[in-house]
Amino acid sequence: MTGCYDFCGHYEWTFEWLRQQGGHELVKAYWDESINQDSQVHASTLITAKGFEGMKEYWGPTLADEGAVYHRTVTDDVFRIDMHECPSKGFLLRNGLKQYADYCDHCMGWIGPMMKGAGFVVDHQHNHCGQCWWEMRRKEDATAPSAPGELSGAEDVRLRPGWLRDEPVDTYQRATEPDDKTTA
Amino acid sequence: MTPPVTPLPYMDTKPHGHADFYFAINATFRFILKRFGLEALRRYWQDMGAKYHQPVGERWRQGGLSAVAEHWRAFFAAEPGAEVEVIEDADEVSLEVRTCPMIKHLREHQREIVPCLCQHCYYVSEAMAAPAGLTVRISGGNGACTQRFLRQTSNEPGQQLADIKEAA
Repeated sequence: MTGCYDFCGHYEWTFEWLRQQGGHELVKAYWDESINQDSQVHASTLITAKGFEGMKEYWGPTLADEGAVYHRTVTDDVFRIDMHECPSKGFLLRNGLKQYADYCDHCMGWIGPMMKGAGFVVDHQHNHCGQCWWEMRRKEDATAPSAPGELSGAEDVRLRPGWLRDEPVDTYQRATEPDDKTTA
Repeated sequence: MTPPVTPLPYMDTKPHGHADFYFAINATFRFILKRFGLEALRRYWQDMGAKYHQPVGERWRQGGLSAVAEHWRAFFAAEPGAEVEVIEDADEVSLEVRTCPMIKHLREHQREIVPCLCQHCYYVSEAMAAPAGLTVRISGGNGACTQRFLRQTSNEPGQQLADIKEAA
């Protein structure tokens, strides 16, 4: 049987299997059609109907069940997550599993299209070491992403001593799809 | 500090997996089936068994049927909602799956289940077992089944896919 205990392991392995079958475009189609529109349809239903309240209802229980260490900041205009210990990337790092070039892209791969459908845009960075942050705003809101500490104070993951390491950081600005990033 | 030796080649910090990941497993099978057809889906399962699960097959090759039994006991202990008895004797290991946790969770959440989902247990496990000189026979499905791990040298007839029920 294919289990949920090591899901992140065979999920990441599947990205590379798909890439070998049909290239990068097939992997992106998988994240959107299979994960966003099928597996996580309960998330898009909640968020499309309820906006920020739906984000709270979805990510609260989900991140708790997955064992994430994170901080959430919600105002009338923005939903922010500071992920201090990503349970998914953490599983891969602890178990030495790496088949696909950038596992972290899968989050924008399904969350980006979901947010686009619900009328939001995303500012996001991930450091490939299990830390990332997200800010979701309505697409009409042109507000720039927050400066470190501005929204989540001391909980801002960018203030961690280990935020910048040898790994590059990927940055998305007002994005809704996984290739819309810069790497530095 | 030396990491603990466990029957599973991978370890998480929590005792059980997150059951909603069963949604993604079912959706992944559906995606590959729709895009490429049943033979490609079977090849995906075989590749997963032979490549992703290669460390498990190696443990089975070294440890024989006892390692198979240890693996499945630890595996199902980490799957939320599983009710499975692992029976080990000199010639085979049998899994009496009374409640398949994946089918249970998908049903509880009214998810459309890929009809051939239960075949994946055969194709993945057969590919895991082959390097250890073992083979698998499955009967039942759709929420409860029997999975037998035997030596390839046994005189058991081959797996009949008709013995594996469609899921719904």
